[in-house]
Amino acid sequence: MNEIIAIAGSTWKNVLRLKVVYFLVFCVWVLIASALNYDVLSLGLHKELLVDASLFLNTITGVLVIISLTFEIPKELKEGVASTMLSKPLGRTNYLIGKMIGYIVIGAIVCALVAIGSFLIFNVSFSEPIGVAMLQNHILIILSLIPMAAIAVLFSIALPEIIAPIVTVLVIWFAHSTSMLSNLPIIYGGIIPDLELFNFKSEAVYNNAVSWRYVVMVALWGICYAIFASSLASLIFSRKDIK
Amino acid sequence: MGMEAVIKTNNLSKVYKRLFKPKTHALDSLTITVPKGSVYGFLGPNGAGKTTTIKILMDLIKASSGSATVLGRPSYDVEVKGLIGFLPDSPAFSPQLTAFEFLNICAKLLKIPSDLRVNRIETVLETVKMSRHSRDKIGSFSRGMLQRIGVAQAILNEPKLLILDEPLLGLDPYGRQEFKQIILGEQAKGTSVFFSSHILSDVEEICDHIAILDKGKMLCAGRIDELLTASGTKAIIAPENDEALKELVTIAIATSRRDDGSWVLTFDNSNEIKIKLEDATKKFPQAIEISASHEKLEEFFFRIIKGDGAV
Repeated sequence: MNEIIAIAGSTWKNVLRLKVVYFLVFCVWVLIASALNYDVLSLGLHKELLVDASLFLNTITGVLVIISLTFEIPKELKEGVASTMLSKPLGRTNYLIGKMIGYIVIGAIVCALVAIGSFLIFNVSFSEPIGVAMLQNHILIILSLIPMAAIAVLFSIALPEIIAPIVTVLVIWFAHSTSMLSNLPIIYGGIIPDLELFNFKSEAVYNNAVSWRYVVMVALWGICYAIFASSLASLIFSRKDIK
Repeated sequence: MGMEAVIKTNNLSKVYKRLFKPKTHALDSLTITVPKGSVYGFLGPNGAGKTTTIKILMDLIKASSGSATVLGRPSYDVEVKGLIGFLPDSPAFSPQLTAFEFLNICAKLLKIPSDLRVNRIETVLETVKMSRHSRDKIGSFSRGMLQRIGVAQAILNEPKLLILDEPLLGLDPYGRQEFKQIILGEQAKGTSVFFSSHILSDVEEICDHIAILDKGKMLCAGRIDELLTASGTKAIIAPENDEALKELVTIAIATSRRDDGSWVLTFDNSNEIKIKLEDATKKFPQAIEISASHEKLEEFFFRIIKGDGAV
């Protein structure tokens, strides 16, 4: 366990020191705040629009962080950072889990910053406390990082460096489109996760909260899916030559 | 009783299969034994299979056939890595971390107890002369500094075996000298060292064993003093002994003058030459010093690679 924490720690320290991460958060805050300018265009529903924008943009931010994982692992394998780490008494599975946890933590911190910023913008703009539904949905967005990180790890190990990010983006996009592609039930919850479980924006904008039990169940589902995908990744990685 | 080995490979082979391309035999039935306590130089031209061998030993790549044991355990044993120090050919580390943070992560992975970690990190940083850069980010380091950090992480756990892939690459002459001292220091502590290098003069200086590899095949292996055989006879003529010099210079195959005014003459091993040398030594006993002339590692290396004969 200590080895996993060491790898995860080095990962988040390495990424969270990049200035671009905070620039991304700042840009997302600006975009969320810009929803306030649409009071006329949204026929006075700019409060709902702001909640919707904050949830949508936080989801995109989380996806961007996770996609960077599909660049990070092949880069570490190619440049020899992984060779140095794997020359220590660290199993390959532990290395992958460490990278995955590292990116989940990075994603959680970045998404939490976006959420806190959107709460402040909401509070200052409308002088009212944030709704429970908005809070729950932001929590679910952070929890959705767990299965997404596992998908990114799986594809970054199984596919060539150039293809991995593209396939990961497509799979995450499909996974967020269950409602549009609901006639393919076998795929969802199996190979492709059902990330719509983590999304109830259409309810959250009207402050219709879900039960906390639902949040816990969805989190458990995400963890189970992450175990499945990372086991598959570990199996592939155990046979892989590290150049 | 057999010699105790720290590395043993048996018919180790690696074949790369690629789509629409012929198979590449990176390693072909390699069998080597690295004795405990030795400094073992692993030599060969580019593409000879040195890095492939080292990566198989570190379980970074899988052998197609054959077996390898490190410190008596299979090379795929994760726990044995705790007893090894490894430096890859192009060391790369997380650029946003400081040297201290990186070594601290390595120390955690090596399961060094937390109360000893800081002290151990400071010691290795001092050894590689990087103490004043311990709080600098690795991303700002030069190639030579990265190599030093690479060496630091390799000796962090006081390993029983050091496996180093091109450790002298990127170091200036001063750095190379320091590095050789580190290797010899580790050997004095009982650590066995196995390293690949292209810098033959350094290998000759510090190694007691070598193996030469080409196109994935072992060409020769053994003790360096046994491999570099006496190829001729060398005579040193003391300064201001022109008579002795005149007598021998005509039969010498090579001559060179030293700074102190003495001359070094090299002769082949024929009986005729031996008789003439004996006569000259009797005639000028104070002026001539005879010794065996050994082949340089560089000459030996090129002779072996060109196929003049495997040993």
